[in-house]
Amino acid sequence: MTITEHAYLLAAIPAGMFLLLALLGRYLPRGGDYLGVLATGTSFGLMIAVVANYVQNRGGLGGAFQHGLEAQEFPAWTNSIEWSTVGDFVLRMGIYVDPITVLMLGVITTVALMVNIFSIGYMKGEPRYYWFFAVLQLFVASMLMLVLADNLLLLLISWELVGVCSFLLIGFYWEKRSATEAAKKAFITTRVGDVGLFIGVVLLGKAAGTFNIQDVIHAAQEGHIGSTYLFVSMMFLFLGAMGKSAQVPFHVWLPDAMEGPTPVSALIHAATMVVAGVYLTARMLPAFEVAGDMMLIITLVGLVTALLTGFIALAQTDIKKVLAYSTVGQLGFMFVALGSGAPEAAMFHLMTHAFFKALLFLGSGSVIHATHHHQEMDELGGLWKKMPITATTFLIGSLALAGVFPLAGFWSKDEILHSTLDWGGGWAFILLAFAAVLTAFYTTRLFVRTFLGKPKDQHIYEHTHESSFVMTGPLLFLCLLAIVSGFVVFQDVGKAIGFPGGITEFIFVEHPHVFHIDWALAGTSIAIGVIGIFSAGWMYWGGSTVRSTKLAEWQPGLYDMITNKFYFDEMYQYGIDRGLLGFSFIVSWFDRYVVNDTGVDGSAQITKYSGSVLKYAQTGKVPNYAMGVAIGVITLAVVGLAVRG
Amino acid sequence: MDYDEAQGYVVLSTLCMPLLAALIILFIPGSKKMAIRYVSLIAATAMLGLSIYIFTAYQVAGAGIQMELQWPWVENVGFLGEDGITLHLGVDGISALLVLLNGIVSFAATIVSWKIDFRPKDFFILFWVLVGGVYGTFFSFDLFFWFFFYELAVVPLYLLIGVWGSTRKEYGAMKLTLMLVGGSVLIWIGIFAVFHEANIGTFSLPALYEAAENGAFSTNFQRTFFPFFVVGCGVLAALWPFHTWSPDGHMSAPTAVSMVHAGVLMKLGAFGIIRLGIQLLPEGAAFWMPGLMVLGVIGAVYGATAALTQRDFKLISGYSSVSHMGYVIMGLATMNDVGVTGAVLQMFSHGVMTALVFLLIGALYDQAHTRDLKDYGGIAKIMPAWVVFYTVAGLANVGLPGLSGFTAEFHIFVGTFHSYPLFGGLAIFAAALAAGYMLRMFSIVFFGPTNPRWADLKDLRPLEAMGAVTLLAAIVLMGVWWAPFTDRVAATVTHLPGVIGIA
Amino acid sequence: MVPLENYLVLSAILFSLGVYGVLARRNAVLVLMSVELMLNAVSMNFIAFSAYLDPSRITGVIFAVFIITVAAAEVGLALAIVIRLFRNRATVNVDEAAILKW
Repeated sequence: MTITEHAYLLAAIPAGMFLLLALLGRYLPRGGDYLGVLATGTSFGLMIAVVANYVQNRGGLGGAFQHGLEAQEFPAWTNSIEWSTVGDFVLRMGIYVDPITVLMLGVITTVALMVNIFSIGYMKGEPRYYWFFAVLQLFVASMLMLVLADNLLLLLISWELVGVCSFLLIGFYWEKRSATEAAKKAFITTRVGDVGLFIGVVLLGKAAGTFNIQDVIHAAQEGHIGSTYLFVSMMFLFLGAMGKSAQVPFHVWLPDAMEGPTPVSALIHAATMVVAGVYLTARMLPAFEVAGDMMLIITLVGLVTALLTGFIALAQTDIKKVLAYSTVGQLGFMFVALGSGAPEAAMFHLMTHAFFKALLFLGSGSVIHATHHHQEMDELGGLWKKMPITATTFLIGSLALAGVFPLAGFWSKDEILHSTLDWGGGWAFILLAFAAVLTAFYTTRLFVRTFLGKPKDQHIYEHTHESSFVMTGPLLFLCLLAIVSGFVVFQDVGKAIGFPGGITEFIFVEHPHVFHIDWALAGTSIAIGVIGIFSAGWMYWGGSTVRSTKLAEWQPGLYDMITNKFYFDEMYQYGIDRGLLGFSFIVSWFDRYVVNDTGVDGSAQITKYSGSVLKYAQTGKVPNYAMGVAIGVITLAVVGLAVRG
Repeated sequence: MDYDEAQGYVVLSTLCMPLLAALIILFIPGSKKMAIRYVSLIAATAMLGLSIYIFTAYQVAGAGIQMELQWPWVENVGFLGEDGITLHLGVDGISALLVLLNGIVSFAATIVSWKIDFRPKDFFILFWVLVGGVYGTFFSFDLFFWFFFYELAVVPLYLLIGVWGSTRKEYGAMKLTLMLVGGSVLIWIGIFAVFHEANIGTFSLPALYEAAENGAFSTNFQRTFFPFFVVGCGVLAALWPFHTWSPDGHMSAPTAVSMVHAGVLMKLGAFGIIRLGIQLLPEGAAFWMPGLMVLGVIGAVYGATAALTQRDFKLISGYSSVSHMGYVIMGLATMNDVGVTGAVLQMFSHGVMTALVFLLIGALYDQAHTRDLKDYGGIAKIMPAWVVFYTVAGLANVGLPGLSGFTAEFHIFVGTFHSYPLFGGLAIFAAALAAGYMLRMFSIVFFGPTNPRWADLKDLRPLEAMGAVTLLAAIVLMGVWWAPFTDRVAATVTHLPGVIGIA
Repeated sequence: MVPLENYLVLSAILFSLGVYGVLARRNAVLVLMSVELMLNAVSMNFIAFSAYLDPSRITGVIFAVFIITVAAAEVGLALAIVIRLFRNRATVNVDEAAILKW
């Protein structure tokens, strides 16, 4: 027995805590926030144990650690039980722990713990404080279950559960109409993708005869599934991934989701839930590879998303919205890596991105908290002096996002760019590099306009103060991760911290891809960052908007498109109002007036009308009735005689 | 008296309990309202206990009919031979689950009827007759008594809606009763046709099943008379296009009747399609099932679409019932074990969650006297417990994993994709639309700024909360740990004639 | 012995008189009496057929007794109605007692 076989405990503990907090939280002192931290902290500790156990039992490269289990090169733990049976249709539920799972566990528990601690400071004094922590635990539990699942059914279950947690947390401030609408939009948009996932899961399960992920992949690789069938089902599966990971054209919900409390944005809408799509695609990548043109589709979706959201982010003025579009864009980067057949690059970027984007969100949360809910860049500025810790950590996060050497983002972005070249898509490389320039540009703009220059609103500025340690602590820890997590790819560093061979090799041992620096590429990558940063710095330095206004006036059409987010929301709204709701009105009308009033009430009307005509036969005069009886008897007699003849 | 016989008496006492309650209440003066309520509560609790017992005591390994009890009624007279008409009670895996449903829903409905102040005596007498009829239908293995109890369940509805209802109640009650009775006529014709064709002089269902297996019904006969059963029972199951009584009936019915009606009575229809249609006329079923699948898909999508723009709580629930019963019909039409099992699970799931929804609507309507969504807003601030229950019920409606709706829909869709992938793909959009109409209602009613007009609304009272918790427990249990449910249902479903297994 | 036909003819005449009375008379009492005539005609038929076709059994006679009983009950009831009618409307004309129509 090893801890890894019982990795489900990671999810079970927060799940139990959810029940406790949801039922009793309101009666506990301080809403039981310490219990939330305790639960995620325990999961975090267990995660470390799982990682240690995993690395120990991994033979081959890390020989120094091996003892106990027979040395296997790429062990994967599974543990499942039979859940239900209908005839020969058996459902099993269980966990599957392999390197991808281990990485995801690390990311989720780390960020979850940090966000839990941060929330104690950020959410202080909010109504329904206990409820916030309760739902946070449910989310952590479902997210962990999602990555631990050994079968598509359990994955689907947790997939939808994280969606509901997201819904509940986006709509946390439900007194605000906009928060409610955003929650609804997020749930329904992802739900459309989820329906795709559902179809994909059912189709794959039907063809493979099981829902077990490894068996499904195996069946696909062995060619037991017809090629068109496989393509269609993988396409549906990918729709689910697109919905959850907010890829174009499903990206519209994520920026609106920023209506939720900022720690939620950090945890759910930057680091964990939105990467579920990336995780799913990486998990099923061997099946995607054999499914027709799926890899190209994945690349294109990622590329379009990265570019489109890069442009939109240029013109956003809300701190969180910039970060949200940036998240969507970075997820696009990951999909490009997946489509290029480099899951290790995608997972690596997933990890570093989770850390520095969570850092940025929590940093923006610190600003929002300090300025009493002001998050428009036009109202802020010059905050560096007031909030040095937040500003410094935010700067490091921004540089990591912009891909500055030697921070985490640099290495992972480099790896992705490299993977596109390896795959042979020069055009993809160029477009992606351009998207990287945009990333560096809007990140710098965000930082400069928020923290540098002169304060734009003196009143807000004066009331600002640095946040307490319960909030800056997580910032510092994540900042540390944003600096160092890039180095784990290197053999030496990896060995030192227990990942012999570096983390990318650790993640995807099936694709041995030892990280190496291609200096030409690294140079390009550095140049990309520098171009983006300096052009943005030149344009926005000192809080001046003169140059940027000029730029906007130079291309008014393009500027209009960007500020209106390429009119996606308007198109959807039009489609829903005119298409879906119109259809609904027609159906309701049809139901009322055709089916009901004509079909059902109509038959009643006919009966009524015939009655109104025939009632005159009822004269009320006895002789008339008697006459009727007599005529009837005579007729019967005559007919009877005639028949007997 | 051996064990099996004793079990038979458990079934008999479950059947007699509501009728006995009606009889006792008949002799209590109408002015003693509390006495009437307590008698009802005791009877409902006893029934809940007995139903749970029957469900748990059903032996999965034994499959088939268990807990049998057979008393001859009329035999060897005229055209009736041996065992002509017998009071033949028992349960199989399908009815075990539905009996449990009836126990749970009627318990919750009794609790919320506590506050009925207008002629509670007559209300409860009719209510218990209705519940007794439902139990009888689930227990009966004799066509005559099956139909007898079926009618017994349908007829009190007219008075219950017409007297205690609201919003165009006479219209709703009349339409509902006429449509259901019209369906009954078709069933009655079918029953006599089957009786005559089998020509063994008995109404006993097991004997008729055996005859059917031995080829007593020719293919043409089966194809001719299967539609009689399906349309006849389908009216009660809100089969499209015979569903229009559902929105109107639900809109007019009082809370408890809506609960029992949407929760249990609609399932009688689907249950009849299995008992009479699939089990008696399997070849007819095989012939007509594709057509039924089309109707099911239309119902599922149509109901969900129409629900999108409704403004009345109960109309939303009425149309969503049409949509969910469409799933049930789809599940039955797959004719494979997973799909049919899913259909039965959906009957249970839809029963408990709709009962919960109507309970909650009733709790709000009794205070606010309007069901127009646009009148509300920010209710979550005033009635937090109410909103939590409604959210869970609504999400179960949407098919959220961890709640009963998902379990049922998952099985239905696995079955449907196995037999009719294209229809499965069409119908699943109803699931996305369900999220649309549910969340639209949530966001209008529960959230947003609080309308000061409702500041003095009261949250759920303890009795209502008790009923809601009972229903909620069933929803969550089936959503999380569905093996006890699927085991029992599958034990019977896998042995239904014409139902194939999927690997 | 008188032939069966004679009885039948007499019965037919009686019956026709009764039918004429029911259809043509307006007085409720007379209508009732006409009904009695018809019933008697039927009884006569029963007895005649019984005596001629199956003398060993008395089925027809029993029917006749039944008819007399029913007729007596019917007349009792009907006369009560006629009396109520007369009390209320001061008439026994059946044409005027026509409120039970559409």
